[in-house]
Amino acid sequence: MARRTLVLAALLVALVAATIASLALGAVKLPFSETIDILFGGGGSASDRQIVETLRLPRTVEALTIGAALAVAGAVLQGALGNPLASPDVIGVTGGAGFGAILIIILLPGSIALLPVSALFFGLLAATLVFVFAWSGRNRGSTGKVILAGIAMLSLFTAGTTGLLAAFPERAPSAIFFIAGGLTSSGWRELETIWPYFAVGFLFAVFLVRPLDRLALGDDVAASLGSRPQLIRLAAGIAAALLAAASAAIAGLLGFLGLVVPHVVRMAGGTSSHTFVIPASAIGGAALLAAGDTLARTLRAPIEMPVGPFMVLLGVPLFLWLLRKAV
Amino acid sequence: MSGRRDENVHMGDEISPSAAGGAPPLVASGVEVEIGGTQILRGADIELHSGELVAIVGPNGAGKSTLVRAVSGLQKPSAGHVAWSGRELGSMRGRDLARVRAFVPQRMPVPAGISVREAVTIGRSSHLRPLSRLTRSDRAGIDEAMDRAGVGRFAERTLTTLSGGELQRVQVAIGLAQEAPVLIADEPTSQLDLGATIGVATLLRELVDTGLTALVVVHDLALAAAVADRAVVVAEGRTVATGPPAEVLTPERLAATWGADARLSEHDGRTALHVAWVQDRPSGR
Repeated sequence: MARRTLVLAALLVALVAATIASLALGAVKLPFSETIDILFGGGGSASDRQIVETLRLPRTVEALTIGAALAVAGAVLQGALGNPLASPDVIGVTGGAGFGAILIIILLPGSIALLPVSALFFGLLAATLVFVFAWSGRNRGSTGKVILAGIAMLSLFTAGTTGLLAAFPERAPSAIFFIAGGLTSSGWRELETIWPYFAVGFLFAVFLVRPLDRLALGDDVAASLGSRPQLIRLAAGIAAALLAAASAAIAGLLGFLGLVVPHVVRMAGGTSSHTFVIPASAIGGAALLAAGDTLARTLRAPIEMPVGPFMVLLGVPLFLWLLRKAV
Repeated sequence: MSGRRDENVHMGDEISPSAAGGAPPLVASGVEVEIGGTQILRGADIELHSGELVAIVGPNGAGKSTLVRAVSGLQKPSAGHVAWSGRELGSMRGRDLARVRAFVPQRMPVPAGISVREAVTIGRSSHLRPLSRLTRSDRAGIDEAMDRAGVGRFAERTLTTLSGGELQRVQVAIGLAQEAPVLIADEPTSQLDLGATIGVATLLRELVDTGLTALVVVHDLALAAAVADRAVVVAEGRTVATGPPAEVLTPERLAATWGADARLSEHDGRTALHVAWVQDRPSGR
């Protein structure tokens, strides 16, 4: 128990540090104390205030939300499918969202504002197809069926994406940022459209904590307790699809985060109880993406690099170190 | 295992008024189950009375597990009637079912880093509303379930460190935390060694002697004879006999249902199955 409290405390410290760094650092570096003052409504010059309030605050909120969303999506799916390899990729969301975004970038470059909507739409479409196939015929809703249907959809949409890129190679460069995954300083506009999807996804996740713990003791124990295992898996799939598709709509393909953060949290906390894993994943994912994004835009400022590769750089060594210690 | 009819019933408050009014906790008739086009159960009848331990016996593939899963609501019957304290199974929500019976699977998955107490707490969750916290009575229920199942002394150990027998007791504790009057267990001793089997059998008998009602799939006929008040024989998807084990498991039945030349004996609380393990083979080859 003490270990879990310690891990949660450490994650919270990391979250606060990453948030302040994300607000203070960038092409223009602000002192941390001034940043905190601005955040709480006082101090700072007008231009500094503008940088923090209109550029960095929305971006930081995006990073925190998306980091939390992807990590929770991974945690919920790994719990529901009882499979350590599960992540939003596995239910087709990433493949679908990628296709939706590339479709706009390649075929309708004039209407780039449609990108988040298209990514969201195709991400959810891919997940829906996965569930329709996994929930029909024999053995409906089984873990194996969900994963195999997901891999099939991922392949299908990835083929669509690469097909588009190959057909219009001259437009491919503008797609790279999306595929690598990254945030932009575009204000509150995207969050204003997409936030309800995050909200519903997070709400589902909160209500899934206890059912997922039951499912961890097996379908039969869950059924003995009055749950319907298939329904838990479906709800988890919907939550993960909403969270991952909404994330991809804003930040492109950051699949790695959803896979790794729940594992890191489980290994660090020494437990797979969802009462711990889901909130800890949310905090850890938020901190990791905020830190990664800060690095991505400060290392070679004023050039901004996509955060995807940076996050992998931050996460993989930690992951491998913990993996070496586990089992 | 003598003195099985102990009058010390202290789970009386868990028995619903309708049960007290006469409807047995479980009545099932003509239950059929079809899975993927294959008829597994072809007509099973079972009646469970308060305070008895009923063993379901039968050869491999006879449909024992399917029968207990069907009456528990884990497997949808394709025909027949199942009623819990007079209520039709089909009309009951999961939450209602959780209050009338607990199902203990053969072997549950063992998640990493979960302690015995946490697992038993999960077993209590059928009493909780979504997002609500454990009340004092929930905590008391969890402690009592652990005590009765004899897992209290290793409550803080993680599931991954337990032996097969200890894990089986934890599974029973998870079922008890549900505080349902009927416990249904699918072959709880099938993977245990002799000592652990005795431990789990004794536990189940004690639970029934102190007020619980139990329906248990038992593979070992000598064990069934020792522990059960009544045996139900399942063969080829049908219930073919029911009654006290000694009366039901006759040499004729053992020959007809199991194809075994065998005889059950009971002496001084010890039961044994005398089996002609190697049968006379036709000569030649």
